[in-house]
Amino acid sequence: MLNQLIGIIFSETFVFSIFRITTPILFAALAAVIAERAGVTNIGLEGIMMISALTGVIFSAKLQSAWLGLLFAILLGVLTALMIGFFALKLKTDIILAGIAVNMLGNGGTIFVMFLVSGDRGYSANLASKVMPAINIPILQNIPILGKILSGHNILTYFAFICVLLVWILLYKTPMGLQIRAVGESPNAADSVGVSVNRIKYIALGLSGALAGMGGAFMSMGYMSSFNTNMTAGRGFIALAAEAMGRAEPVGTMLTSLLFGFADALANNMQSLGLPQELVAMTPYVFTVVGLAIYAASTLKKNRKKLE
Amino acid sequence: MRKNLKFEIIRGAASILLALAVAMIFIFIISDVPFEALYNLIIGPFTKLRYLWLILERMIPIVFTGLGVCVMFQANQFNLAGEGTLFFGGLVAAAVAIYLPMPPVLHIIVCIVIASVVAAAAMLIPALLKTKLGASEMVSSLMLNYILLQLGVYILNWHMADRTQGATMSHLFQDTARIPTLVPRTNLSWGIIIALAMTALVALFMYRTKWGYAIRMVGQNQSFAKYSGIKVAGTIVLCQVIGGLLSGMGGAVEVLGYYDRFKWRQLPGYGWDGVTIAILAKNNPVFIPFAAFFMSYLKQGCNLMQTYTDVPAEMLSIIQAVIFLFFAAEQFLSKYRQKLVVKGAKEELAEKKAEGGQKGAEA
Repeated sequence: MLNQLIGIIFSETFVFSIFRITTPILFAALAAVIAERAGVTNIGLEGIMMISALTGVIFSAKLQSAWLGLLFAILLGVLTALMIGFFALKLKTDIILAGIAVNMLGNGGTIFVMFLVSGDRGYSANLASKVMPAINIPILQNIPILGKILSGHNILTYFAFICVLLVWILLYKTPMGLQIRAVGESPNAADSVGVSVNRIKYIALGLSGALAGMGGAFMSMGYMSSFNTNMTAGRGFIALAAEAMGRAEPVGTMLTSLLFGFADALANNMQSLGLPQELVAMTPYVFTVVGLAIYAASTLKKNRKKLE
Repeated sequence: MRKNLKFEIIRGAASILLALAVAMIFIFIISDVPFEALYNLIIGPFTKLRYLWLILERMIPIVFTGLGVCVMFQANQFNLAGEGTLFFGGLVAAAVAIYLPMPPVLHIIVCIVIASVVAAAAMLIPALLKTKLGASEMVSSLMLNYILLQLGVYILNWHMADRTQGATMSHLFQDTARIPTLVPRTNLSWGIIIALAMTALVALFMYRTKWGYAIRMVGQNQSFAKYSGIKVAGTIVLCQVIGGLLSGMGGAVEVLGYYDRFKWRQLPGYGWDGVTIAILAKNNPVFIPFAAFFMSYLKQGCNLMQTYTDVPAEMLSIIQAVIFLFFAAEQFLSKYRQKLVVKGAKEELAEKKAEGGQKGAEA
């Protein structure tokens, strides 16, 4: 069995699937990074992903264009995130509660809307929705092993990893990023030098919604080709864990997201070895808790050393 | 103080009206028979006695999860594992109900106690990760939901399934373990009495014991609690363990009172409902049964609306989210509160002036 497992891990299809599975988690985790850096915890990522996943399917089917579907998915993601912002910043709802409310909407509201649009409750069978294209990268695709691993992914998968770079540039190389970090670290200090704290928080939430929206769109227009109820299955929450373990740094968060992608891909393959499906499905979540614990323990040690 | 209460009531009513207005807009857009739909949603649940029993019956599990959330939120612990612990508590109770023969009544008690203890033990994971390592209880409790679900479904599928049945479900519970019905010819069990009794107990615990006091202090001002000698870490663990205990108990009572076999293969959603009603009750255990009744009434209305008209029952989640958002919004109608306070102060001043004037006249 161990040999089998090693055989699987070092196969091209397995490594390929890691990138595919990591994509939605990475989008959502980057969304969590931007929000967290501006001092707003966006726990509504799960709901935003669900809403965007459905939006993408509906609009791509009605307009017969995957790109327009993606555009509307991003738009709805931004609007939903701004709604969290409105309640949290303007009406002073606890931001965690505002996020929970959005998750409720994502859970039941999507079924409601899907039923109205297609007459289905379980999944969007009646909607002829489109899928984002996969891309073969010239030259790279002809290189033996690397080609099979790195070429032929969905365009959104590539974009997710490009977003790591974009988020890094935004946070560390632009005035806006400086403001976001300032607001997150010390809102009073930022305020005192004339930064509009709420405006920055709204912007960060909006960007976070756009990223989570792309993650949602990937779920229904790439990872799968239709919308299922509950299809994100906690990825928005896993993304929060990935962000926490990645210390809200874009690159670190990418690495932890990949780690979750690896665990998930491994779990999928362990099923083919005849292990019970439920226990296999459980492993990424167990892994997350263990990872969180290890990360927390390591920071605790570091802080203690600093004190000494 | 009384003004504050009056304001809270007005604001709550405004939130509910707003949510119903949103629902109305949706209904008028999508339905061919909007008035019938509205009638079923709002008046429908009161038209038959049978519906009242249904409302009370659906209240039971969410009272337990709501109480659990109250206790944890009062200490500012955003533990969201009510969902998973309720599910797992139900499964454990079912296992004891099937495989451990015992005399009547005692059997029910043992089922509930074991389920509560196991669920409470599960809550130790996020609680200890928080106090020992400083990991966010929110993220780990969310993960715990999925872990408990998968573990539970695994146990059901591989160790408890009755293979003679078409769908995946456990064997029949022994009759000694089933919670008897309270109202004949309905599904309303004695569980509702247990739920109300637990409400009283939790209220007493929170407002009449030193542990309850410690929990509230930690929530209001952790530093103050620490310097006044309250063991903060212990209190944080305690409130989450109690939260797990309550939702595990809710799972047991629900499963033994409503079903004859264990059939859940998804998280039933009562944990999230518990968060909603805890917000409606402002984290005060005394108000939990009322909030649960209200949620359950809305659910019944939505179900009737789906049965008799063309509006899907998932409308509930939209209404629920809107109420939730406005109820939790501290600044919602704050200008109105400002006016109330100013008005009150002016009246007081006027009174004092009048009194002063009188005294002056007497002198």
